[in-house]
Amino acid sequence: MSSGTIAGVTAPAFTPTAATLETAIAFLAQHPGHGGAVDAATRREALARYEALPAPGARPSRGWKYDYANLPFEDLSWTSDRRSVATSPFAAAAPPDASGADHPALQTASAGGLVHLGATLLHLRPAQHDMPEAASRRDARVVILPLADAAGAAEPALMRALDTIVDWRGDKFTALATAFQNCGAFVYVPDGVQLDEPIQLVFAGAPDDEAVFPHVVVVVGNGARATVLERHVGAGDPFVCGIVEAHVGEGAQLDYAVVQQAGEAARLMFTRGARCDRDGQVRWHLAELGGALARTVLAARLDAPGGRAEASALFFNTGTQHVDLLSGVDHTVGPTTSDTVVRSAATDRGQGRYVGNIVIRPKAHGSDASLRDDALLLSKRAHIDSIPALEIAANDVKAFHGATVGSLDEDALFYAGTRGIARAEALRLITLGFFEPVIARFPSEALRDEVRSALDRKLDDATELGA
Amino acid sequence: MTSTETAPTETALAATHAPVTDYPVDDAVLDIRDLHVVPLAEPGREILAGIDLTVRKGEVHAIMGRNGSGKTTLAYALMGHPGYRVTHGEVIWKGLDILKLSPDKRARLGLFLAFQYPTAIPGLSVASFLRTALNARRRGLADGDGEIDPSDMTRGGIKMGEFRTLIRETMALLKLDDAFAARYVNEGFSGGEKKRLEMLQMAMLKPEFAILDETDSGLDIDALQSVGNSVNALRHSDEGKDIGFLVITHYPRILKHVPADLVHIMIDGRIVKSGGPELADEIERDGYDAVRDEVAATSV
Ligand SMILES: Nc1ncnc2c1ncn2[C@@H]1O[C@H](COP(=O)(O)OP(=O)(O)OP(=O)(O)O)[C@@H](O)[C@H]1O
Ligand SMILES: [Mg+2]
Repeated sequence: MSSGTIAGVTAPAFTPTAATLETAIAFLAQHPGHGGAVDAATRREALARYEALPAPGARPSRGWKYDYANLPFEDLSWTSDRRSVATSPFAAAAPPDASGADHPALQTASAGGLVHLGATLLHLRPAQHDMPEAASRRDARVVILPLADAAGAAEPALMRALDTIVDWRGDKFTALATAFQNCGAFVYVPDGVQLDEPIQLVFAGAPDDEAVFPHVVVVVGNGARATVLERHVGAGDPFVCGIVEAHVGEGAQLDYAVVQQAGEAARLMFTRGARCDRDGQVRWHLAELGGALARTVLAARLDAPGGRAEASALFFNTGTQHVDLLSGVDHTVGPTTSDTVVRSAATDRGQGRYVGNIVIRPKAHGSDASLRDDALLLSKRAHIDSIPALEIAANDVKAFHGATVGSLDEDALFYAGTRGIARAEALRLITLGFFEPVIARFPSEALRDEVRSALDRKLDDATELGA
Repeated sequence: MTSTETAPTETALAATHAPVTDYPVDDAVLDIRDLHVVPLAEPGREILAGIDLTVRKGEVHAIMGRNGSGKTTLAYALMGHPGYRVTHGEVIWKGLDILKLSPDKRARLGLFLAFQYPTAIPGLSVASFLRTALNARRRGLADGDGEIDPSDMTRGGIKMGEFRTLIRETMALLKLDDAFAARYVNEGFSGGEKKRLEMLQMAMLKPEFAILDETDSGLDIDALQSVGNSVNALRHSDEGKDIGFLVITHYPRILKHVPADLVHIMIDGRIVKSGGPELADEIERDGYDAVRDEVAATSV
């Protein structure tokens, strides 16, 4: 992708309209292996759903700037491309023209993965398929493929999982993501395979602003164990709207971590869903750190006994950042367990909303669900809404729910002060400590340290603290 | 980051290594002069109604008084608790009126308070907390904001190895388990563990003047002994031989471990009587009413 072109043709400006969609469909018809796993008819149906569905949710607060019904799509382009790069994106400073892609994060040890710059998949030169092969060299049985390739090969594990976990028809933005899908990944960890290092899926912002619509499908076979790390880095002002589906097999474990450090003006709308088979465990880890607006749905369905879902999420909104986080765990049978922990903070004019849902259905006897969310407000104009909801229709279940919204603990500041620690430094320590219950659950020490330093940098950048 | 410190003399202080002395530096380690204090929440109510107290180098003074007589308020006022306002008086230390300084600057000038009710800081480990505090303490007033950069040794950060050795040795002295250092500050600590953490901090920060606010309350015999040991270890160290103590207590037993040079009785925000160590036993035997009656009889 030389910027703004699709295979030599100027990439169309993106608007969520039939005109853009028909251009995209025509392009994809000529370029097999691009796009994703959706056919033209489904794309048209999805756009119709997008147009028909109401925008999600009212504006949470007075300071909330965005109206989901009228998001502007100016100066965005739609493309779907592949490009060879000379060096492994995981080895050195990754794509040279993606500022922010020299992020140390991209050098994290990994069990392989895929890198996208905007909606362009970066391949390791020379051979077209080196990248996935090189990526999976640690365990040849693991499959990490561009979604279009996996769909083209009709990978059975993909076909069983695709579109079965996230119902794209149910939400305006998942419908949009399906209509305009232009990249994606398929990760398959076969039965019994245990990976120690994470599989990385990197989405780097392209310098010219793109509308990026990824679809990620992760299948972890019976008794397998894996960590997938989804990263958002880079510059530009992209609009990224995606779907993640994760299927966790019997007795399998998946840690799925999202570290979102997109550029300052990026907007990200993601729906991520998981389903666990008998005794399967999914652990969502989410750190929303970058971007101007992030809306994330994090869902888990437990429809086999012994299933367990953990969701740990944090956000820290500085400047004028907005984060809208919705988590949901659906206990359809028992006994199943879930544990949700959310820590959010905001300063300056940061705005946030957290909606947490736990549903325990009539057949989910013996289930155990816990939901804990705490919010910290560091300035007068910052705002965080917290809306937890527990719906319990079974007997003999345990459900816990606790929520707080607070400001800085002056007593703790004084206590630290009497130890010689200046206010600004005490504030930093106390705020980082506030996030620690979520950070502590991230799946590796390297990742935990990375999140801590990212939060620390945000504290440095914030203008109002503990007002 | 923003700083909300507003005291007028602070910029001057921050600019120089040598504290600007407003008062002649004499032998008195800490000099409290006619201190009046109200809580911000209830400014009409005077809790400290004129405290005068001088503690010299190396001395131990005990303060005893009924519940609610103002002992903790005195400790808080000395450290600069934001919930209280000094309406009159001054506190001179190292030639400075410390009432003009923020709590962290007072600490970096060598003051220390062992809290009656120590505060929890969730998510912050004892080790990180202490390392930050130690760095701040060692740098004194050299840098106005007291921020440290642990990666930058030239900015006064204690080396990790040195710190580990120090904390391990000090915890051993206080018979604290190694796992203690990894726990979050005071979070889920038992009453006794909180008091021991206060002593650990004191032993590591090596203050020049320490206020112990009921550090002996709620401790078992062994813990009391170890508090006594840590105080005495500090007093007998080179750095600690001039340390002054203000020991707030309800019980004479702590004074068996840490003998007081003087005992002061506080009633309704005033020191009404001072005397030798025998005063503590007298209080235990006769109660505060006897003192009150005696003072009333002599002052009319
Ligand atoms: N922030 C405040 N607002 C209102 N009243 C206060 C405040 N702080 C202290 N007081 C009152 O001032 C009085 C002295 O309190 P202080 O805590 O200093 O007593 P104390 O001598 O330490 O008591 P104890 O032996 O129980 O620890 C009490 O009556 C208390 O209720
Ligand atoms: Mg008290």
